[in-house]
Amino acid sequence: MYAYDTYDHAMVNARVAEFRDQVDRRMKGELTEEEFRPLRLMNGLYLQLHAYMLRVAIPYGTLSAGQMRKLAHVARKYDKGYGHFTTRQNIQYNWPKLSETPDILQELSDVEMHAIQTSGNCIRNVTTDQFAGAAADEVADPRPYAELIRQWSTFHPEFSFLPRKFKIAITGAAEDRAAVKWHDIGLVLKQNEAGEVGFEVLAGGGMGRTPVIAKSMREFLPISDMLSYLEAMLRVYNEQGRRDNKYKARIKILVDAMGIDEYRRQVDAEWEKIRHVPIDVPEEEVARIKAFFAPPPLPVLADAATEVDELENANFVFKAWLANNTGAHKVPGHAHVTISLKPHGGIPGDATDEQMDLVADLADAYSQSEIRVSHEQNLILPHVAKSDLPALWSKLDEAGLGTPNAGLLTDIIACPGLDYCSLANTRSIPIAQTITERFDDIKRLMDIGPLKIKISGCINSCGHHHAGHIGILGVDRRGEENYQLLLGGSGAEDASKAAILGPGFNEAGIVDAVEKVVAVYLGEREDDETFLSAYRRLGPDVFKEAVYGTD
Amino acid sequence: MAKKITGPQLILANRLDDGRAVFLTATGTWSNAAADAAVADNEAELDTLMTVAQAADLANFVVSVTPVAADTSNGVTAPAHIKFAMQARGPSVRADLGYQVSPNWEQ
Repeated sequence: MYAYDTYDHAMVNARVAEFRDQVDRRMKGELTEEEFRPLRLMNGLYLQLHAYMLRVAIPYGTLSAGQMRKLAHVARKYDKGYGHFTTRQNIQYNWPKLSETPDILQELSDVEMHAIQTSGNCIRNVTTDQFAGAAADEVADPRPYAELIRQWSTFHPEFSFLPRKFKIAITGAAEDRAAVKWHDIGLVLKQNEAGEVGFEVLAGGGMGRTPVIAKSMREFLPISDMLSYLEAMLRVYNEQGRRDNKYKARIKILVDAMGIDEYRRQVDAEWEKIRHVPIDVPEEEVARIKAFFAPPPLPVLADAATEVDELENANFVFKAWLANNTGAHKVPGHAHVTISLKPHGGIPGDATDEQMDLVADLADAYSQSEIRVSHEQNLILPHVAKSDLPALWSKLDEAGLGTPNAGLLTDIIACPGLDYCSLANTRSIPIAQTITERFDDIKRLMDIGPLKIKISGCINSCGHHHAGHIGILGVDRRGEENYQLLLGGSGAEDASKAAILGPGFNEAGIVDAVEKVVAVYLGEREDDETFLSAYRRLGPDVFKEAVYGTD
Repeated sequence: MAKKITGPQLILANRLDDGRAVFLTATGTWSNAAADAAVADNEAELDTLMTVAQAADLANFVVSVTPVAADTSNGVTAPAHIKFAMQARGPSVRADLGYQVSPNWEQ
């Protein structure tokens, strides 16, 4: 993975020193809250309902074991012994003290981490496929390009005060595990007919109160043009995006208003002006960055492992975990492993300091010291020998990290909701907890098959409800928590917007409604049809009838 | 002059250093417990409370001073709206830690 050079270290350390001074001045009263607020937000520090919240960037979701140990240490020393992994592949701490935040940031800087650009109207952490560099189905590893975008976008003077926040996602596989079509810009690595690798470029996607699926800007952009083309896209948005209304300030609104063809025309005109000035990096620099992401030296091993077969035959939970939580690796005899942070009855995305330490130890022992965070709020060990899977699973299971539900109904995305977030209208976590308790039977879950439930506690859609096969949106109905049910969304390559089924429910009612929807699917499905396919074939009426009755 | 109010109000803020939700009491101190909150029944009383609260803001003890509707119907003062009630109670999850356990959990 990428390692800081002296310039990176100096830049991040200088930022920590600057923020330490700003916090000191705030505590002394030399800065008012109005003056200090934008400064703390630039360092990822929010004030939530009960405490400050610090959002720490995990660039494209890639972590070393040493970095994970530091995250555990921060949770233990400065917080309440846990952290929350987010849909942006970051981690949030819910209880840091303002006066201790500079110390936290210094500790993070020591392991090449920071909280810069995790808030504010700037280019945020670039997200990607959690299996990047490991997945058997990828065209190319997207992380070197994500790192190039990170370096280009960090402290970019022109793009530090955009009309609104800006999110870029990149995937190297045809199966979209990074929800690229739901981002301001989505990049999909592809091969053209000449066998060259480049990007399909998508623009104008986003969730929030106006869900929009990104549209294609270019079928194929050569890699060598990536940064200048992004610069042109951002420049047109920065100049023309609305600044008079924050709800209409995202690029999706601009692209919708002017049309994708006009946006493309303006971007191309801008690009013509700048593409020959040195924005794109030379091939040597691309090669230098790529070298940080060179595949680990994994030996080619036999694909079958006796240890795995024996435990698979003897233990149904391991068998389920193998089926759901492991996937095909580029190198024969290996797998990538999803560590579920969705124990039934637990809080989606939360991990204790002890669990984080354990994951770091297991990464050292079994996965080339590498860890990933997925936008679905799980952790990944990307490079595990298949023969190690039984030992790994056993250690995970003992620590409450062996839930075999990746990709199944209880692998729920949920935002922090009103339990923590000052923007939320309703709680999200308790709904996820109740659903996972209701469906606490792995055989039943496997019979239901792939089903993504995504829960947001307000219209800002941090819980990705628009992209849920089943989406749940919390709304404030005259001071009471009310939950709307949406069906038919997808965050994958077949992206679609979920549609509201009907009137909302209270906390108990929404869980009953989910169960009724699942029952309709089980009754109506044909052969191996997934929930999403069945919904697309059947349409909403049969589900509506089951949930609301025929009246 | 405070804006017109339609019912009893209390003053909620966050402590500057740790962000803890705190409530202005009748003696001008800040309590962790909503039950200790002073309640304003009219605009003049709310004005008086806001003057005290804003002084604490200027003294860098609290931030985000907000008057919110109070519910006194059970004989115990609490914020009426669920969002502010949640601030008084702490998260409804992780009942093993934080001021979900008790308003004075930290002490």
